[in-house]
This record gives sequence, C-alpha cells and structure tokens, in this order.
Amino acid sequence: MASVVSSVIPRGQVDLVDFVDWSGVECLNQTTSHPLANALKQGYRDDDGLHLESDADEQLLIYVPFTQVIKLHSAVITGPEEEGPKTVKLFANKEHMGFSNVNDYPPSDSLNLSPDNLKGMPVMLKYVKFQNVRSLTIFIEDNQADGDVTKVQKIALFGTTVDTTNMKDLKKIEEH
Amino acid sequence: MVLEATMICIDNSEWMRNGDYSPSRYQAQADAINLICGAKTQSNPENTVGVLTMAGKGVRVLVTPTSDLGKILACMHGLEIGGEMNLTAGIQVAQLALKHRQNKKQKQRIIVFAGSPIKYDKKTLEAIGRKLKKNSVALDVVDFGESDDGKPEKLEALVAAVNNNDNSHIVHVPPGPSALSDVLISTPIFTGDGEGGSGFAAAAAAAAAGGMSGFDFGVDPNMDPELALALRISMEEERARQEAAAKKASEEAAKQEKVGEQASSSQDAAMTEAVDTSAVVADDKKQNLTDDEAALLEQALAMSMDGAKSTSVDITDADMSDATAEDPELAYALQMSVQETARDSSSQSEMSKVLEDQSFVSSILNSLPGVDPNDPSLKDFLASLQGQSETQQKQKEDESEKGGQLSFFWVPLVSCGGGPRACFIFGARICSSVTSLWPVDYPTFY
Repeated sequence: MASVVSSVIPRGQVDLVDFVDWSGVECLNQTTSHPLANALKQGYRDDDGLHLESDADEQLLIYVPFTQVIKLHSAVITGPEEEGPKTVKLFANKEHMGFSNVNDYPPSDSLNLSPDNLKGMPVMLKYVKFQNVRSLTIFIEDNQADGDVTKVQKIALFGTTVDTTNMKDLKKIEEH
Repeated sequence: MVLEATMICIDNSEWMRNGDYSPSRYQAQADAINLICGAKTQSNPENTVGVLTMAGKGVRVLVTPTSDLGKILACMHGLEIGGEMNLTAGIQVAQLALKHRQNKKQKQRIIVFAGSPIKYDKKTLEAIGRKLKKNSVALDVVDFGESDDGKPEKLEALVAAVNNNDNSHIVHVPPGPSALSDVLISTPIFTGDGEGGSGFAAAAAAAAAGGMSGFDFGVDPNMDPELALALRISMEEERARQEAAAKKASEEAAKQEKVGEQASSSQDAAMTEAVDTSAVVADDKKQNLTDDEAALLEQALAMSMDGAKSTSVDITDADMSDATAEDPELAYALQMSVQETARDSSSQSEMSKVLEDQSFVSSILNSLPGVDPNDPSLKDFLASLQGQSETQQKQKEDESEKGGQLSFFWVPLVSCGGGPRACFIFGARICSSVTSLWPVDYPTFY
C-alpha cells in the first residue's frame, strides 16, 4: 500500500519549512560566512545574530525545491531596515535560473517590501499563480537603501500541501 | 574529488609562436592542457572538461564540457595560431558554456591560459571577476609568455575579484628550462582546492619534481598514512644501505693501496697520487683563490673533524676570528656545530670514514671551482686529517649505527653533484646556516 503523507490543516496555512528539500537548495551571490541556511532553517532564522548576506553586489538568487507539491499562500521576509530587501520576484517551477536570464521570464509574483514587511508582517501572494509549486526561485533585486549589500534575517513561506506521494516515505508508513 | 565542469580557454594568438618555452609556447600550452584534462577526468569520473580558443578568427568553442578524454585531446589537433586573444569574450563564452552544462550539480570552473599581453584595464577585469563570483564560477589563470608591464597585476586583480574562499588561483610561469606542465603540476590548479593531491597529480608530481612536491614523497600523510610511512621507511633503509656501501668502498680503497707500512702514510701517498692525476683537470678550474676562501675551507674541514689536532685548531681559531668579524652568523653556526660534534664523537668516525675515501674527497675538491688541490697548505692539511681519521676509525668501528644520522644526510648531497654548497657541508648541523650564507660570502664561486 502506498503511503500518503498527511494532508493539510484545512483552514489556515502551514509553515512550509518542513517541506523544503534541503539537498537541492541553492543560493547565488551569498557570502560564505552568511549563507542561506541562516535565513531559511528552523532555529537559525530566528537567531538575530545570523543573517543571509549578499557578496559581490546587492542581488540574491535563491532556489528552494520542495519535497512535495505545495500551494503558496503568503510569505514573511524580515531584514534590517536599511539593508533589507525591497524588490523581490518569485518564480514558480523554474529550475536553475541565473542572474542573466532572471529577467527573461515574467515573475509569478513581484513584491515590493515595505518596512512593515521587514518587521514581520506577512505578504500575501497571488495564490492563483502558486497552485502547483514544486520549486520556488526567489530573486532579491535590490534593497531598501540601494546599497551594495543586502541582508535578510528570515524567509518563511506559508501555504498548504497538495496530497502527493512522497517517494522517500514509501517504506516507512503503511495505512490500511 | 570535487564534481566539476571545467572550461579551458586556450590562447592561440600570434604570440604563441615564440620559442622561449620549449618547444614553443603553443606546444607547451597544449601539453599542459592535456595533462589538466587527464587530471580532472581522473579525479572524478563524472567531471567534464570543455575547450575553447580565444584568438584566431574569434572565440570558438572546440568542445563543450564532456567527460570523454579522447574527444578533448582530438580537438586540440590542427589548431591554427594567429590573431589576437580576446580575454573578456573568451571568459564570457566559457561562462555561458558552463551555464548550459548537462549536470547542474557540477561546480563551474574556468582555466585561462594568458600568454599574450592584456589590453583591457584593471577595472574591466575586476567587473568580469565580480560577475563570475556572483554566478559562483571559479577561475584559474596561468600567466605565461608575454610579460608586459601591468599584466601580472591585472591578472592578480582579476583572480582576487573572483576568489571566493580560495577557490581561484593564479600561477605565473616565467620562461625557463623546465616545461610549463612540470611547473603547473605542483600548483593548486592541478591538485584541486586543498585536496592535497589526487593520485594522478601526486604521481606526476613525484615523477617530475623528483619527489619534492608539497608533501614528503608526493603523498599526503593525511590522505594515505600507510603509504607515506612505507615510503619514509624505505627511504631511510636506502640511505642506510648507501652509507654502508660508502663505508665498504672506503675500506676497500684503503686495503688496495696499503704498502704494508703505517696505514696513514700509505693513505697519504695514495692521496697525493690521486690528487696529482687530477691536477690537470683541476688547473682548468682554477680561479682567483683568495686566502679567505682557502682559509675557510680548512676551517670548515677542521670544524667537522672535532678540531683535535692543535695546528688545525690554531688555523681554525685564526680563521674563525676573521670570519667572525665578517659574519657573526656564520661564526655562531660553526660554533654550534663544534659543540654538537664534540658531544657526539662517535659520529665523527663515520665522517672520517667518508673523508678517507680519497677518490671521494678529491672529486669534491675538483668540483670546487676556487680550490686548487695542488695547494701545498691544503695537501698538508688533508694529510693530517687522514692521520686523525685512521686512529678514530679503529676505535669506533662498531659504532656505525649512531653515525648513520650524519652519513645519510651526507650521501644524498654528494650524489647531487657535489657543488660548492654540498662540499662545504661537512657537518650536518652546519648545513642550513652555511648554505644560506654561502652566496653572500662567496659570489665568485658562481
């Protein structure tokens, strides 16, 4: 019997950090001392001392694959007031983008973060565009102060999962 | 063992016709590239390598990243030399080729051979470097061939801009007798980032540089401790064997020339004979022999012989004061060695045995450009040495083991040709300090 990963809480959302496929997570233009894990991983992202920082210039390209298909509802992106991100573009299901072709595709959603967002207020996304998301690409184009370095404290994604067979769980659980 | 996709940018411009690297710049480059391709594909079977040319009619990709070594080597044939190298376009095309690699899990690396002058300014190169870093592409640069003003600095700036956590390197190869590939083998370009040598690179390094790669015996003790230990033990056994062989040779020489009288006098006569026959050869090599040089030769010999003889000690002391006035470091080093050799008298026996070998000593003297073996003071001194060594030898015959330390160090030095440095290194402890001081004191020897 194939196992089925438990579905979603019907109302509201789930923090999708549990469904991130960590082996495929990539971030371009990050500094080695301040990597993506500081902003994405449970525990690290709430630590104020750790943040994600850009290296050569202010742009960041983050690729997050998921272990199953999800619907994306909203996101929380926090950062310092000056160096926090401003323009953020989201691409659903586009793999291995680079800085050169990131502007060739229309984004699934484009966010303009306000200082309130940077303090923790969630941003509502275009839910209809994120119905069937296997992977998410986050392109941080610039920051609040238009400086050379962008810092991100936390990236949290909220949404719901679609009933999917998680191949890794096949052997473990059996339901009758 | 890093999974990598590499693009190699060849410089096939007109500047590559020059022959200051043997056989020609272009050929040296081609050999180096062949070796790099082999090393990359061997270190990880899933690695891919691609090649493009930067000069000629324009930047042209010869082969996209592939793990098929035969295809890569084949495409290097029949390349035409001509045109001017376009560094920026070459790097950008390489970046594009890497972006479209099949296995996205591979890390991206570009290796550039920069043989012609660079016409771009530093700022442009730094901007390119930052772009590469942003896209997490590593860059290795081989700076060879033309060295106009500013080229090394420009390339250094480029690599510094790309460098992220020590993944990019630059190597400057000046023209010289050694091949471009040999110089590159020991660099991080070959050995990978901090891997300490894959099997291919380590073996090649050992072959090319005579076992003197970054690690002893070309094997990283961390990667392969058993192999490193086995190599070290076998090296020491070999040295012990060679030292025993040298001992045997000197004893046989002594037996052959014995007339039946006192051993010392016979050896003395034999010594003079040997010296005489080689006098003609020595004459050719005669240069300005200053008193200082002869004096220091005697002094060095005396130091190693524990200064037992009074006359030699007097000479030694006199010369020591002269030398001390000129060079306190040398005096200190000599003093140190005197103390140490005085402590370990048994080691002297080994030394004496080695010194006894007349053919050995005369060959050393012959190779010294500034020393004339016919110099009477020198001959007398050596005769006195022989006398000393004889008496010591009889007492300390059985203590060869302890002296092994000294001899084994001695033997490899001799085998490398007995140049002026090696000859004056009679005491193992002296050697490091004297070697460094030697060129300063005696420029005429070169």
